[in-house]
Amino acid sequence: MEYLSSGKILIVDLASSETREEELDEGLISKRIGGAGINNYLYNSYKDYDPIVLGAGILTGTLYPASDLSVLTARSPVTDNVCHCPVTLKAGIEFKYCGFDYLVVLGASAKPVFLWIHDGVADISDGSGVWGKDVWQTTDAWRRDMGDDLIQTLVIGKAGETGSDLAQVSVNYWGSGDVWGFASIFGKKRLKGIAMRGMGLLEIEDPEGFVEESMRLLESVKTGPWKGRSGLYDLLVSLGKNDVADWVAPLVHRNSASYNVPYAGNTFVYLDEDPSLLKEPQGAEPGLLLTSPYGLIAAKDMGLSAMDACRLIRSCLRYGIDPEMVALIASRDAKKRREDIESSMDSLERKGMKPWRPPFSPMVPRQPVFADFGVEGEPGQLEQWWLQRQALAYVFGIDPLFLIMSPELTAQSMIEAVRIGSGIEISEETLDGLVSEICGCN
Amino acid sequence: MAAFSGYPRIGIYTGGGSSHSWLWFADLFERLGFWDLCFLDEAAVRQGALEHVDVLAVSGGDTFALAGALGCEGAGAVRRFVERGGIYFGSCAGAYLPMPSSKLPLNLFNFVDVRIANLASKIPPALRLREKFYTRYGCRYVFHPVREEILLGLKSKELLSSSSTIKAPLYGGPAMLPGEAVKVIASYKGFTEKTVFLTEEETCRITLIDKAAVVRCPLGDGCFYLFGPHLEHPRYPEANRIVGEILAVETGTRLPDGEEQSQTTAEPGLRIRSFNSALRRELGNARIVAAAMEFLNVRWIIGAKCYEPEKLRVFIEAMWRRLPLVEKNIATSENAEQLLSLGARTTHLLRELKTAVDEGRESDRLASNLFRVLRDYTACFLHLYFQTIKSLETVCRGKTGRLNHGLA
Repeated sequence: MEYLSSGKILIVDLASSETREEELDEGLISKRIGGAGINNYLYNSYKDYDPIVLGAGILTGTLYPASDLSVLTARSPVTDNVCHCPVTLKAGIEFKYCGFDYLVVLGASAKPVFLWIHDGVADISDGSGVWGKDVWQTTDAWRRDMGDDLIQTLVIGKAGETGSDLAQVSVNYWGSGDVWGFASIFGKKRLKGIAMRGMGLLEIEDPEGFVEESMRLLESVKTGPWKGRSGLYDLLVSLGKNDVADWVAPLVHRNSASYNVPYAGNTFVYLDEDPSLLKEPQGAEPGLLLTSPYGLIAAKDMGLSAMDACRLIRSCLRYGIDPEMVALIASRDAKKRREDIESSMDSLERKGMKPWRPPFSPMVPRQPVFADFGVEGEPGQLEQWWLQRQALAYVFGIDPLFLIMSPELTAQSMIEAVRIGSGIEISEETLDGLVSEICGCN
Repeated sequence: MAAFSGYPRIGIYTGGGSSHSWLWFADLFERLGFWDLCFLDEAAVRQGALEHVDVLAVSGGDTFALAGALGCEGAGAVRRFVERGGIYFGSCAGAYLPMPSSKLPLNLFNFVDVRIANLASKIPPALRLREKFYTRYGCRYVFHPVREEILLGLKSKELLSSSSTIKAPLYGGPAMLPGEAVKVIASYKGFTEKTVFLTEEETCRITLIDKAAVVRCPLGDGCFYLFGPHLEHPRYPEANRIVGEILAVETGTRLPDGEEQSQTTAEPGLRIRSFNSALRRELGNARIVAAAMEFLNVRWIIGAKCYEPEKLRVFIEAMWRRLPLVEKNIATSENAEQLLSLGARTTHLLRELKTAVDEGRESDRLASNLFRVLRDYTACFLHLYFQTIKSLETVCRGKTGRLNHGLA
């Protein structure tokens, strides 16, 4: 595979501490395109070894709008289904620029380890120094030890180490869409996480054509209905959660976007500094980045103040546990004080809580946001629409939130971008079949 | 000394006092197809390495530090080398080095009858980049009126077939006043839109224009070529061509019709996987830290020179872009262990340096140590690289000849 790809699959066997590379065959891309499509294939190829698969979409890291996504695939210990967790912010593209398109982690290590992947090299490194550390300490330690603040991480906290099925793999410091306990699989493998830094390049078959098409698409999405909106505030309003939006607004410092995503969907709140501060804060950790509205919504429903809610979410992120689920369990157990919840994190249990069964993360609203996709009508139509949009995102490597805001980003435009960028022709039938398979892959 | 029986063996000085610009010579000779390169530090020069080379290239850097590193023995070795027919290419600091001086240790190198034109008792006012504007020279100052691109007028038609005017970058190199036996190859002719004036334009004009920029100074059976501007700079192919033509004329070889890249068509040779992997790992680790350093607002004063973090990556990228070829054909290498050790040391020092800068600690000494190790690391790597090229060339020679680079 020459274009839009490094052409390599990295296989890591933690049991034997060995790594090897396989060629990414162009035929496989023609049939299964990329991202979750090839992740499923790799998962099934190695399913006897309890694999975790990390894969980039075929458009990840390109100029195609919102191409920020890589996908983490594993069998959930919560649902026993194969599910796909979105890896966004800058981590999704960092993986692709590391020199591998796919990573398959097999077996379990006898001692704590982490993977250090950089520029075509994969090291199974000693993780004993960070085992027991929280998510933030671990990310800081790796960035400090390896000497680069741009290192991106997928990391687990104590929740994952101890096998909690509420544990969540975190992208850098900020949690993720993992609601399936993937972090506990990492913990079982004694894998503290994956540190990534890639300074590679992607080759494009027709660079001018690809840039031109990407710019054309970008221009068309920029006139979309999300224009003039940003952050979790407007997202919450679009979900009818104006009260939550207004409740958290005084803490908001800024909004930020993932790589190449036109909508700044993440919101940084300041807890220990003045949110109106326009210069570098004094403290090293002034607040946190909120990447999903649902933890906030659940925390407000508990009756917490916005400040306490955000502090609770911060504690969850550090501990490596799903904040929304923590808030829902606290409500169920009638816990009202943040401190009580924080002190009981290691004993929280899911019992009786209904797990999320679809294969894609619920961190993305299950309805169109801002835009009209013409899907509000028939029962089940909305759910089917959402699954199909998510499947497209997870296969091509497009931000799953932005894809429910931008009808302009169609399957045909993605197919065309792949054709221009790589010369590979993907038929709509192939894509339809793959989407169906992924949506119902359980 | 080899008597040009084939292609000249070229030594590139990488020792104390040299900056990153010796890499430009390596790049240039590689592009021209002169692959018989070796990399010499001060110890190698003192220990007789010049007896086995035809050409010595001394790049930019810190002239006093160059002279200090080479010392009396090094000076004697350079003199004997040229007297016996060797060709010395000195660029920037390497050009100042053999000029007459009364200052120790520069006075060990009084080999040519060329004086510095950009020397003043009182320095003119600096408009910008004060830290790069002048260097103390006893009670006087060598000052650098402009940086970046300048125009050169070529003077030596019988030597050069190129056009009469070329552009080249000037980063502190001399304007020269030649003695009688010295032949001017090119002189400073004018400025371009990319010229950066560090002092008033009139002063720049008076100091530079019509002064010698490239000269040939005979000594015994050999000669010194002194380049004020960096003719070897990778972004100036016309200037590069001048170096190539000089080299061809002086060594009796012929330049190819056009620049050619090192061939990469040979089949991979024996792979030593663990070595390749370790080499890539350390280089990759170092490259990541070096890139991260570029975000930091720091510079280091080492000797009389100012170094920015960007220069770290110049060394590392010079290796990184050549890595795929090295990985193709690595038989057992006598310096493999040394190379890996230098790689690990480089990564360690880079991380230590970054931590020191992050914590606001003094870091000049660490940086100085790092640049020294980086020079050794890069020289060691390039030694292996050119060994690899030559071994691949042996495979391909029957098909293509040496890049159409036949002997005269």
